[in-house]
Amino acid sequence: MRKHRFLSFVLGVTAFAILLPMAVMVLWSVTGRWSWPNLLPESYTLRTVQELLFGSAKLPQLLFSSIWLAAVVAVLATIVGVMTARATELYTFFGCSAVQAAGFLPLLVPGTVFATGIQLTMIRAGLSDTLLGVVLVHLVVALPYCVTIMADVTAAVGVRHEEQAAVLGASPLRAFFLVTLPQLLPGILSSLSMGFVLSYSQYFTTLMVGGGRIKTLALVLVPYIQSGDRALSSVYATVFVSSALLVFFLLEWAIKRTEKRGETQ
Amino acid sequence: MKKLLALMLALVMSLSLAACGAGDEEIAVDALDLSTASWEEIVEAARGTTVTFYGWGGDENRNNWLNTTVADYVKEHYDITLEVVGMNIDEILAKLSGEKQMGATSGSIDMIWINGENFYSAKENGLLYGPFTEKLPNMEAYIDLDDPETLNDFCMPIEGYEAPYARAQMVMMSDSAVTPEAPANADEFMEYCKKYAGKVTYPALPDFTGSAFVRNLIYELCGWEQFQTMEADYETVKAAIAPAIEYLRALNPYLWNEGKTFPDSSTTVDSMFADGELVMNMSYGPFSVATGIANGTYTDTTRTFVFDNGTIGNTNYMAIAFDSPNKAGAMVVINAILSGDIQLTQYETLRELPVVATDKLSAEEKAAFDAVEIGEGVLTQAELLAHRLPEMPASLVPVIEEIWLNEVVGK
Amino acid sequence: MRKKKWHIAVLLAPFLALTALLLLSVWNVAIQSFGYIPAFGLTEFTTEHYAKVLQDETFLRALGVSLRIALLSAVLSAVLGVLLSAALIRCRKRDGAMLYLVRMPILVPHAVVAVFAINLLSQAGLVARVAAALGLIAEQSQFPQLLFTPDYGGAIAAYLWKEIPFVAYFVLALMFSVSDTLGEAAENLGASPLRSFFSVTLPLTLPAIVKAFLIIFIFAFGGYELPLLLGATVPKALPVQAYLAYMSPNLRDRPYAMAMNGVILLLALAMAALYGVLTRRMLKRMGGRA
Repeated sequence: MRKHRFLSFVLGVTAFAILLPMAVMVLWSVTGRWSWPNLLPESYTLRTVQELLFGSAKLPQLLFSSIWLAAVVAVLATIVGVMTARATELYTFFGCSAVQAAGFLPLLVPGTVFATGIQLTMIRAGLSDTLLGVVLVHLVVALPYCVTIMADVTAAVGVRHEEQAAVLGASPLRAFFLVTLPQLLPGILSSLSMGFVLSYSQYFTTLMVGGGRIKTLALVLVPYIQSGDRALSSVYATVFVSSALLVFFLLEWAIKRTEKRGETQ
Repeated sequence: MKKLLALMLALVMSLSLAACGAGDEEIAVDALDLSTASWEEIVEAARGTTVTFYGWGGDENRNNWLNTTVADYVKEHYDITLEVVGMNIDEILAKLSGEKQMGATSGSIDMIWINGENFYSAKENGLLYGPFTEKLPNMEAYIDLDDPETLNDFCMPIEGYEAPYARAQMVMMSDSAVTPEAPANADEFMEYCKKYAGKVTYPALPDFTGSAFVRNLIYELCGWEQFQTMEADYETVKAAIAPAIEYLRALNPYLWNEGKTFPDSSTTVDSMFADGELVMNMSYGPFSVATGIANGTYTDTTRTFVFDNGTIGNTNYMAIAFDSPNKAGAMVVINAILSGDIQLTQYETLRELPVVATDKLSAEEKAAFDAVEIGEGVLTQAELLAHRLPEMPASLVPVIEEIWLNEVVGK
Repeated sequence: MRKKKWHIAVLLAPFLALTALLLLSVWNVAIQSFGYIPAFGLTEFTTEHYAKVLQDETFLRALGVSLRIALLSAVLSAVLGVLLSAALIRCRKRDGAMLYLVRMPILVPHAVVAVFAINLLSQAGLVARVAAALGLIAEQSQFPQLLFTPDYGGAIAAYLWKEIPFVAYFVLALMFSVSDTLGEAAENLGASPLRSFFSVTLPLTLPAIVKAFLIIFIFAFGGYELPLLLGATVPKALPVQAYLAYMSPNLRDRPYAMAMNGVILLLALAMAALYGVLTRRMLKRMGGRA
């Protein structure tokens, strides 16, 4: 089992490398001063926690609107991903590879070009400073990731089981929902989380198209990072990461429960 | 599985509902003709409306001050709801220019926190509404209308397109327990860097603070007067600042990382100073040491200092967006911020140099300003104003930044 | 199953609508790079801005910097990410705490990762402090300068921290289903785990790995945040130059900034196309599917 030992070592190193900066971040969020060469902060403060809970940013509303927006984007992007992947992976048609290539387009466009251009488009469409506009923009950002993830899983799953169900008399829609969709579930989960993360961490696009009217956690966090207030930006970053993790946890828990119930029925 | 689908559907439904809701939030455009309206009419038109104030959002104290003190004040006096949105000025300009290009007539930005080259560009390109300041009663009541900083912003005529908000001034700081000396001119600064080799640097231009610090050294070596009327031509400026380039190059070997690289921003320099990686720091907030000591970022022995010949000071201002949906409301809020009451709280809680003219204050107001305890490690307002030099024309700033990049870094 | 034409049209409709939105937006900006912004009094079409970008002597150096960041980040992330993914599957850590841990870096915004890098790797960072506490160095300046260097090691390290877990997570679902079925079958037929991994699991997972590589390459080539926050003053990465030009208060500099972005976009397109051709050939030879 030498190989296992090596792979366990890999996991150990990974866990350490991921956790160390996170731990430092949590520590920084209550740090007053931490100067060279001290290994631990010299003074601690609760100013950041006070600001977080009782400051002007209104944390509960901020969390609610950010999570809600990101969830909507994740769901929509995944639906688009499932549909697109189905078309490109299971059908052959003229321009199929062009569509596959177009899936990568949002990645190729430099961020400032995208934000500026989409702002102009949204003003023209009358969607500037609206929630719908922001959702559309986030969808475009999430598109390449969700389409790619779904394409791989769809190709791997194929349609064989679905066809069997159809032969047995299930309607195509029913066959898809009852047979293929459960098999796509791991991919759907990945796609949902990617979509969520991308929307959750958008800053510039949200600003340009939401105009600051659509308030998200990232909009409050980024200025504090830019201003170099390490304690305050750490406290917001901690909330940012842990709230997203909590959402994932709940999502997976809910899906597992649904799956289990489906099995027992 | 079905439950999941139902959940998704519910989400999508709620989205479309919310989208409708967001559309209804539009603020009614006032029909009042602002150019002829009296102040009373403007105040009346602004009653019950919402005003958005866009500006840098990285200062928790300022965010809180705006959201509580100022917001409560305008709510109580004018029934205006103030909404503060944190956004960098370059992002604000990017957003406004998008709206300008699409011919939008009603945007989402009312008030803007702005100054310098950004004001210059925004005014040049028609992104600001104005002139409006002559309408504001508190301009006359509290502000010195002949002060060069009321008339010009980085040598650009203001012409009523912005009203003063707060004053800034370049200061330097060091921990007196680490470096007892504080350089008072360019020569002493060079000696200081040699003594503490590798522990002094400044933010890479075009960072706001780094750029101002380099301009300050240019003033030290080339004087400041000649720049007030200089043309923004690369070769002209390069010739004029030749001694300063020489000096900066000679300085490089003694700087952090031997001047091959400079920290990306004043933010990074602040952190490096707080960590003890650097022995000196510079800031545009004249009282930032007091704030740093108060919240524990800086040691109690940190001290502020300026050059004997003075340091660059400038004022930052409030303007109104060209497509502001609520110009009347913006004018009322700006007028309120110019008042002695609000300026006093700004001085007290944010430790910003006030913009009000001392001789226009009542004895009572004056006493209140004098009574403010500004905190540890800083210079007094009088000392700062006695060492205050005017800014250069805004158009010279990017030229100097380019010359610095070509001639100083790594040379 | 009968495959009807209109099925395809319905399935692709939302994707095509969003792509159209994107193309329209890019077009809005592309015309700016030709000096056409009537709102700022710029009404003449010209290619002078492109000429200026291409003639700029810093352009080639910046291009070199960006290619270096993109290539090193993508190659190292792909290799180490696949290793991590395999480790997760082999050690049966496909779910639970370890998987949450691996997902964390994906959640952290780039600007925060830059703060992490400074906290840990700068000359006053935690690593340097540990070195000092162990007596390896006497003062800060003896600690090697890892950040803000012209080789952009700091930015690459920050990308790796974020993208290795991304690759692992991105290929995990596919790799698991492959190794669970075919990989296991190969092992039952007597193949060693190592052999089964390299000759069955890896080739069949390759499409996902290749896509992850491409995503990271393009992202690191076009991203400005990390090279801006952790890079050297000169030479700058290409997107950083474009970003600074875009953020210039002088709005009439906008065409120049957009021309620079246009060049970045074209380069990215060209590289993606080249890449697509190469991988298609390679995958065909290996019997896979792009």
